[in-house]
Amino acid sequence: MTLPDYHFISAPLWLVTALHLLTLTLHLAAMSCLLGGTLIALWTGARKAWPAPDAAGFARVLPAATAATVSLGVAPLLFLQLVYPRQVYAATIVSGWFWLAVIGAVITAYYAFYRTSFQAHRTGRVSLGLLALAALGLLYTSLVYSSVFALAEQPALLRALYAKDQSGWVWNPAAGAYGLRWLHMVLGALTVGGFFVSVLGRKSPAMAATGRAAFVGGMAAAAAVGFLYLISLDADLGAYMRTPAMPVLVVSLALSLAALHFHAKKHFGLSGLCLFLSVFGMVYMRHVLRLVRLQGSFDLAAWRVAPQWSPFLLFLVCFLLMLGVLVWMAKLFFRPDEDVTEA
Amino acid sequence: MHYPFWDQPIGYGVLMAVIAVFHVFVSHFAIGGGLYLVVNEHLARRDGDMARLAFLEKLSKFFAMVTLVAGALTGVGIWFVIGLLAPAATEALIHNYVWGWATEWTFFVVEIAAAMLYFYGWKRLTAKAHLTLGWIYFGAAWLSLAVINGILTFMLTPGRWLVTGDFWQGFFNPTYWPSLVLRTGVCVMLAGLYALLVASRLEAGDFKARTVRQAAGWAVVGLAVTALAQAWYWKAIPAAVTARALETMPTPVRAIVLSLWLAAALGAGVLALVVLAPRRFGTAAALAFMALGMAWFGAFEWSRESLRKPYILAGYMYGNGAEVAQTATYQREGFLPQITFRTGDDGADLFRHACRSCHTLDGYKALRPALAGADRAYLVALVQGAHLLRGNMPPFLGTPREAELIADHLYQRTDHRSLAEIYRIDGLALGRRAYDLRCGKCHAVGTASDKAKSLAGQSAEDLSGMLDMASSLGEGMPAYTGDAAERKALVAYLQTLGQGGKP
Repeated sequence: MTLPDYHFISAPLWLVTALHLLTLTLHLAAMSCLLGGTLIALWTGARKAWPAPDAAGFARVLPAATAATVSLGVAPLLFLQLVYPRQVYAATIVSGWFWLAVIGAVITAYYAFYRTSFQAHRTGRVSLGLLALAALGLLYTSLVYSSVFALAEQPALLRALYAKDQSGWVWNPAAGAYGLRWLHMVLGALTVGGFFVSVLGRKSPAMAATGRAAFVGGMAAAAAVGFLYLISLDADLGAYMRTPAMPVLVVSLALSLAALHFHAKKHFGLSGLCLFLSVFGMVYMRHVLRLVRLQGSFDLAAWRVAPQWSPFLLFLVCFLLMLGVLVWMAKLFFRPDEDVTEA
Repeated sequence: MHYPFWDQPIGYGVLMAVIAVFHVFVSHFAIGGGLYLVVNEHLARRDGDMARLAFLEKLSKFFAMVTLVAGALTGVGIWFVIGLLAPAATEALIHNYVWGWATEWTFFVVEIAAAMLYFYGWKRLTAKAHLTLGWIYFGAAWLSLAVINGILTFMLTPGRWLVTGDFWQGFFNPTYWPSLVLRTGVCVMLAGLYALLVASRLEAGDFKARTVRQAAGWAVVGLAVTALAQAWYWKAIPAAVTARALETMPTPVRAIVLSLWLAAALGAGVLALVVLAPRRFGTAAALAFMALGMAWFGAFEWSRESLRKPYILAGYMYGNGAEVAQTATYQREGFLPQITFRTGDDGADLFRHACRSCHTLDGYKALRPALAGADRAYLVALVQGAHLLRGNMPPFLGTPREAELIADHLYQRTDHRSLAEIYRIDGLALGRRAYDLRCGKCHAVGTASDKAKSLAGQSAEDLSGMLDMASSLGEGMPAYTGDAAERKALVAYLQTLGQGGKP
């Protein structure tokens, strides 16, 4: 009996790649609101810069942001295996314990957010200790992701590290390869988090001012670090410059500036859209860079494409339904108060 | 073979069990608990029962904490763990079922969002809107189970997929429906057990009695559905798999028997409670029921995992990641050329990829104590005949030279003094040790492969002669390579076995 071969991609590669990039952008947007928002809340909390009710109100949003980050993070992790076969999973194994500890770190952060949220609801105060604990959990998670994904882009280093140590206690030693990248991600999160804070706190002058400052300052700093990161690519820079990533970079920068412009005009919807598209551009550029770096390590063109259209159609219908149900539930929840005593 | 191997000391089975079992408890509770909340909220609002509504609101807080945080995160944790422990199987599953998983993700997102809005909506929403969110939550959670169930059951009973490779034939495989009914029953049972736990802390009175009776009803109905579905599930598994389990794998059979006893104990306990003392029902009893329910479910999951041996994807991929379809390639070219991540120590690399996914040296399914006293020749024979050993091990598919490399790796790490020296024993105790080491790994006493009866009436000379010609007694039988003292003790022990196990 000839057994089925699993070395195939169950939809055209462009479609799988597009889904990966889209879902990753959604995850990053939620994660940035969460991480950036937490860092801003921590900073302003330490300086008592926000009125207590504003700070408490913001703290109560953080569990929902965590839920969104976690649930939106599953899909890109799934598509990852199809877009970069074996590379990332191999890197996670070499750093196995650090990778697995991410679950503990996120659970800790999640419970810390809930505790803070309940406390804020009950007492009107925000626990800076719990916020700091949550921020540490998130920063650890982001650092592990940067480290592991950077390791995945260096197959030779990955093999050398594994040959020396198979215990899963290997931390990517090439900090130069991911330090700037991690910093860029954190600053990006601060930018998006600033936007998030400014929109949520648009009726509070203190929150709006902090959010605006983080939005503008974070974007400037992220652009500077991103530029440094580009320069640090050295040998890969030439090849990278010849890819479609460069025009996308220009468009993304323009979108970021447009986001600032619309934000200043208080057109938050347009600003958010530009910012989201700009993040999508960044995600695309990371994808192209990864392909440049992994050139020769795998050839996706060699993988058989055997579309599974009926399961895909089911997914598509469910995906659209999901969007519809989410919007409907949000409308239901946030619509003007009705008589809640109705039995 | 295409991935590095995570050489951690805990053991793959243990690590997987810790995260997966915890997750299945929480995730099934998340579904049943959602149904319990929304049904009871409906009844309470219909009857204007404010005490019950207050009880449900309190219940929903813990429910949200457990399901949203621990449930969601350990679900992601399972992703992490299977990617670390069984990357090849994960890869094969993703390539075949990416759209199944992606569909499940859409339900997961709705489930999480609905749970949050339901939890925060008690005071904010109208009754109708709140109930609607509750039903959306339950629907999405159950659909999520219905999708994952297809992939999970596929791993044990892929059915026609092995021939056609068709997504739907693999998804709606022979155990899909019984497993879905069984798991739905588990959801209801766990919801009842949890409600019992919360109700046990209520003040004694009519409300407590009503709540306890109702929660007990959920637990018993869930248990009854589950018990019936378990019988259906067992029948749906291919006869060859169940027959092999009954003959050669005591572990899953024991787990199944244990699970039935636990289910019976649980059912009897809950029923007795409803009849005898609903008002005085205490937290200790509730915790005991909860522990019984979890033990029963844990035993079921354990048996399901064990039944799949020696495969991780039945008929397709062995537990160590070796692909059935690549058997000829492994035998022709060996394992080593297929291993992408090498360390320079071929024996260690082969050991990791062929054995370590189940065995550790000193921890879970430890080899060092199990192989203490073994000589190199015997170890080579053990590796080559791995599929004949107890526990349904995968066959060693590499070359003879590779089997020697694994044996050398083990030999260097085990105590190879004589058994008499290691354990400071002689006589029948030594014979028993020798039997365990050299015979019992296939012919365990009391199992289907027990050959004790064939030893009846044989003299010491006969038995010694049998040991001389051991390698010609059957396929995969190793030559007897123990020393003279061990042989003498083993022969004496074999004689006691021939006499019914009594010296």
